[in-house]
Amino acid sequence: MLRILHDTSYDFIRWWKVMAAITIAFIVLGLGSLAIKPLNLSIEFTGGTLMQLEFTQPPNVGQIRSTLDQAGIRGAEIQQFGTNREFTVRAQDAAAVAAQSKGAESIAITIGRVLKQKFGENNLTVIRTEAVGPRVGSELKRGAIIAILLSFLITLVYLSIRFEWRFATAAVIATSHDVFTTIAFLKLMHLEISLTVVAGLLTVLGYSLNDTIIIFDRVRENLRKGRKETLYETLNRSINETLPRSVLTHVTVFAATLSLLIFAGEVIRPFAWVMAFGVVTGTFSSIYVAAPVLLWIERKWPRKTGVRQSSSTATPTSRTRPSPATATR
Amino acid sequence: MNLKYRIAIILGLILASFWTLFPRTVVERVKRNGEFVYDTVRRVPLKRGLDLQGGMYLALEVDESKGLIPDKSKAIDNALKVVRNRIDEFGVSEPVVQKAGSDRIIVELPGIDDPVRAQDVVQKSAFLEFQITDKTQAFDKALPRLDALLKDAKIAVAVTTPGAKKDTTSAGLQSLFSADTSKKADTTKSDSANAVAANLGGPGAFSKLIQQGGMPGEYYVAQSDVGLVTQYLAMPQVAAALPPAKVLRWSSDTLSLGNRVYRPLYVLDAKPIITGEYLTDAKPNTSPTEGNLVQFTMNNEGARRFRTETSRHIKDFMAIVLDQRVMGRPPVIQSAIGANGQITMGGRDLQAAQDLALVLRAGSLPVPLKVADVRVIGASLGQDSIHKATTAGIIAIALVVVVMLGYYRFSGALAVAALALYILYTMAALAGFQAVLTLPGLAGFVLSIGIAVDANVLIFERIREELAHGKTVRTAIDEGFRHAMSAIVDSNVSTALTAAVLYQYGTGPVRGFAVTLLAGIAASMITSIFVVRTFYMIWLNRSRDAQTSLSI
Repeated sequence: MLRILHDTSYDFIRWWKVMAAITIAFIVLGLGSLAIKPLNLSIEFTGGTLMQLEFTQPPNVGQIRSTLDQAGIRGAEIQQFGTNREFTVRAQDAAAVAAQSKGAESIAITIGRVLKQKFGENNLTVIRTEAVGPRVGSELKRGAIIAILLSFLITLVYLSIRFEWRFATAAVIATSHDVFTTIAFLKLMHLEISLTVVAGLLTVLGYSLNDTIIIFDRVRENLRKGRKETLYETLNRSINETLPRSVLTHVTVFAATLSLLIFAGEVIRPFAWVMAFGVVTGTFSSIYVAAPVLLWIERKWPRKTGVRQSSSTATPTSRTRPSPATATR
Repeated sequence: MNLKYRIAIILGLILASFWTLFPRTVVERVKRNGEFVYDTVRRVPLKRGLDLQGGMYLALEVDESKGLIPDKSKAIDNALKVVRNRIDEFGVSEPVVQKAGSDRIIVELPGIDDPVRAQDVVQKSAFLEFQITDKTQAFDKALPRLDALLKDAKIAVAVTTPGAKKDTTSAGLQSLFSADTSKKADTTKSDSANAVAANLGGPGAFSKLIQQGGMPGEYYVAQSDVGLVTQYLAMPQVAAALPPAKVLRWSSDTLSLGNRVYRPLYVLDAKPIITGEYLTDAKPNTSPTEGNLVQFTMNNEGARRFRTETSRHIKDFMAIVLDQRVMGRPPVIQSAIGANGQITMGGRDLQAAQDLALVLRAGSLPVPLKVADVRVIGASLGQDSIHKATTAGIIAIALVVVVMLGYYRFSGALAVAALALYILYTMAALAGFQAVLTLPGLAGFVLSIGIAVDANVLIFERIREELAHGKTVRTAIDEGFRHAMSAIVDSNVSTALTAAVLYQYGTGPVRGFAVTLLAGIAASMITSIFVVRTFYMIWLNRSRDAQTSLSI
């Protein structure tokens, strides 16, 4: 039998202050840099025009830019996309969006026409066009925010029913932590936030929540066994006991993510990046955010004797276990 | 549960999956020799989204830039019918035309290769009117008044016409200037306002741009002056001074006289003798003398009205006006016209005639529509995406198989067999529920392969723990599954809830992702819990040393 990290008893939670410092520094760095430059939102959210062009010969980017400038489309972002014959043109600034209020397609048509005039009808193909009017953009933005908040709310309710409010709150706080770290990551990597990336973010939240639930499930079970130990010790024990599972699952998910990152192409790459980071932050938050927060909540609002812990999970011993005040040492 | 039943259920699911995924004959619109026809094709019943097969997505809204529309929702409902009729005839396989929200129409056209044409067909108002050209010379009488008005408006215009003008305008101004001043023709935009003002001062500012045409109510304007005249006509004081009960309409064609190109401007009776609402059929045709044209037929009521009206206008000229443009030269009415007529297309190609016939048949749009959101994805990009996602998927599967076999050996092999079933079941579920496969969906599917083994990992780790506690193999397996259950259920349900939120609030590709995620969660619960358990039961029944050692 091949075993890794079997029967470990690392004191994970002891390091929570260091870990908290690291993660707060990361979040502050990421979100702080928002003051310098805002998030790189895709045209789906801001409105604007995106075109993906394939040239038969590697073109001169300067020529593309000057052609667009002459056509009155200034400030368009031109980026190589995959090979040196493929480029994306993104007209996303306020002027470009305003020009679309009469019809989202107008800028795209102009870009296509002037570039074909310049480079020749047969020398480039428009392989993707997305043009989003400002109203649609703001609707999608609102939809994305509602989706994230709603998924939090539903999770909170579900976990409150299945566990109890302390666990649910700790799990949701750990998951919110992942929202912030992931946004910081997106910012620092300057990744474009599209609808697909938001879907990736929600997947990360689901995945991170999974991980927290697996550990909390073990905590719930260990509490039921009624060992004479503090919640601090129970948490550490549970993390250690689920460690082989955590490692294995993270390895397989990371393998899948890595193959997406490398092989699935440019369009899906930002999504793959979010997932890759999500595996890291999800694992981290399950141990270093969910557990310390649970301890903190227990100390602030300790479970009193007689208070229903959860449906049929409360045992006399778990109610009389020592106060978690000792847990923080 | 009895082992035989378990096996029967698994085999049943496998059969059902194969049946669902088996290529089948469906009736579909397909392109045959350039024509779209209904035909039977055999294919795997997995729907690909626009981002995978290429095509066009359009979201249309009521365009209120030319006036407010009172009942938008009703207008959209009516427009929806027209757009649907047009798209049905346009010839795309499996188009989608639906209302989204209260004021938006979504059009999805898979595999379209000419987005500009498609958009034109969707957006064209196709409002057809038959109007008699003015024979009272009302416009001629109004010209002096217009000239005077422009003269008075000289100063006002310099202020009210800002720099932003169409290119045709400055072209018109250039030719004016080169004729009577030595100022260089290269007028910049800021100059053009002054130029308008300067020109206004001259005698007959308006009338000198207009020439008498070849029939009552017809005038010629040099092509280079069209922008300027349009601009004059748009001035409120000019519009107010135009003859009452008449409308001015440009021709859709140009006309060469000598070496100059002119665009005819028609003065028409404002009240049309008839509109396109009585049209029952329209088809494209080519005539040797008139080029491409569209022949139309009216219904009985329309024919009766048309006959009465035209009989009252013998020897008059009748303009056929489509979306406020006069199509071709107005023909003279020789005798009463009945149910049939034709619209000449000028120099335009047969495709244009086909499209016009199509939109006339489908009816006119009750409100103007504008594009709120458009996405066009080339078919090659979609193919490329499928190819890349498949590569990523195969590699992900290979990596997961290596990890599971390497770590859990025999039990890992059971999990891998279950993973194969997982993939089969998920695909079948997607096909069965007619879910649309999108690129994010494919990515989600690849990802779910990594996540799907999680349940098995949980169970196997539990079994290992039970074995370490000295339990027998049979008990360890039982206990392992039992203890892992709550974690598996809780984690999967919470993920499913997130997926449901995504489905509710997502659009297009993201929705595809949510559906894949949901199908994946269901399939992974079935395979990791039920199928692997059954595999163990078979093994326990058949293997002799099963009681003493388990490769896990």
